[in-house]
Amino acid sequence: MTATPAPLGLIAEITHRCPLHCVYCSNPIELAAQREELATEDWLRIFEQAQQLGILQLFLTGGEPLARKDLTELVRSAREHKLYVNLITSGIGLNAARLDELVTAGLDHIQLSFQDSDAAAADEIAGARAHALKLQIAQEINRRDLGFTVNIVVHRRNLARLPQMIAMAEELAPQKLEVAHVQYYGWAFRNREQLLPTCQQVDESIAIVESAQKRLAGRMRIEYVTPDYYGKYPKACMGGWGRKMMLIHPSGRVLPCHAAEVIPDLRFENVRERPLRWIWEESTAFLRFRGEAWMPEPCRSCDRRAQDFGGCRCQAFLLTGDAAATDPVCILAPKHAAIEKIVAAPAPQLATPEREWIYRL
Amino acid sequence: MTPAPEDRPRLAPGCRISESDQQTGTLLVPEGAIKLRGTALRILEQCDGARTLAEILQSLQLEFSASDPERIAHDTIQLLGQLRDRNVVTW
Repeated sequence: MTATPAPLGLIAEITHRCPLHCVYCSNPIELAAQREELATEDWLRIFEQAQQLGILQLFLTGGEPLARKDLTELVRSAREHKLYVNLITSGIGLNAARLDELVTAGLDHIQLSFQDSDAAAADEIAGARAHALKLQIAQEINRRDLGFTVNIVVHRRNLARLPQMIAMAEELAPQKLEVAHVQYYGWAFRNREQLLPTCQQVDESIAIVESAQKRLAGRMRIEYVTPDYYGKYPKACMGGWGRKMMLIHPSGRVLPCHAAEVIPDLRFENVRERPLRWIWEESTAFLRFRGEAWMPEPCRSCDRRAQDFGGCRCQAFLLTGDAAATDPVCILAPKHAAIEKIVAAPAPQLATPEREWIYRL
Repeated sequence: MTPAPEDRPRLAPGCRISESDQQTGTLLVPEGAIKLRGTALRILEQCDGARTLAEILQSLQLEFSASDPERIAHDTIQLLGQLRDRNVVTW
């Protein structure tokens, strides 16, 4: 048997605590409590193991990673172990002094999330008054020597303001703007009817992004994460199951992706009990959908199987009840009708009064 | 966008050459890594924001004196242009 290639990135969900209550939160329905969280020394051991495993990139995320008081210590240790340190944050809990501390500790890159360009609409989605604080902290980030990405999550309710959102990002002047459609897992699945854009909105948004990409070339790069319900073929979820990424849940469970716990009958190992290398190379959860042996037809004989790896296992489970099914987003999938039905639904509802949001608790 | 002789290219914020011995020649960038082949590493090591493109080219042409100097200039300018489009270098 050939050796398993090393993972490229480690996603460290260091806490599920978060001051925001976004209606499309991608964290699982059941959040980890603070008392379940790994201790500082657990993370320091993990970073050492990650270095030995050949991991290059660390993504500190949550919840809101700033909610952990030991964040600076974690960043410093990760850099000592030669990892590139990304912080994925809402910015809430950050100020000039703490930012200086993190930069001195070796933080390489901040991805700061926004909900909208309109303050009231942004705060409605977040369930908190956060927008004005984010604008302030963006300016602080820009004055310091580190990579800066602005992330804006888009959906039916804010897509009409896409040009204004791009203009806002231009003023904040990050190196990169990531415009990401809501992906329908976790909490977002509950608010899907309210968030799912219309086909027309998606088409218009693609044209807007393409013209902005041309205009801003060399100044600000725009990455557009298209909503996969509207694609012809599925996304290469996580770059393939157990192929590039591993994710550690606040409690220490190691997952192939953030949503994997929705799949029943998978046993996830814990870094409190097992070394990271063993989990990556030998645990049943990582082996379950790694490679091609698990694939059903039409994936098994499809030319695209090395491009999209069969798509997303969690989505296959959520929409068909079978985690080993071809991702129903694919036009070749036997269950593709499930997607067509969902995508066809939102248009007539646009004019109807909005339902109440189900806020992230 | 390609650099002019008087431009002083440097790595963009958040981009650095890996410090690890196991990852020689890896350029780390926000949320990713780029494997640098051949002389690309030598070129980027000189992009310190102090030296001009003209000075960098001179130094590379001296170091690789067996190669065609025109070719070195062409390849260097092309590489920097591509990396600028990816926001990895700036000037």
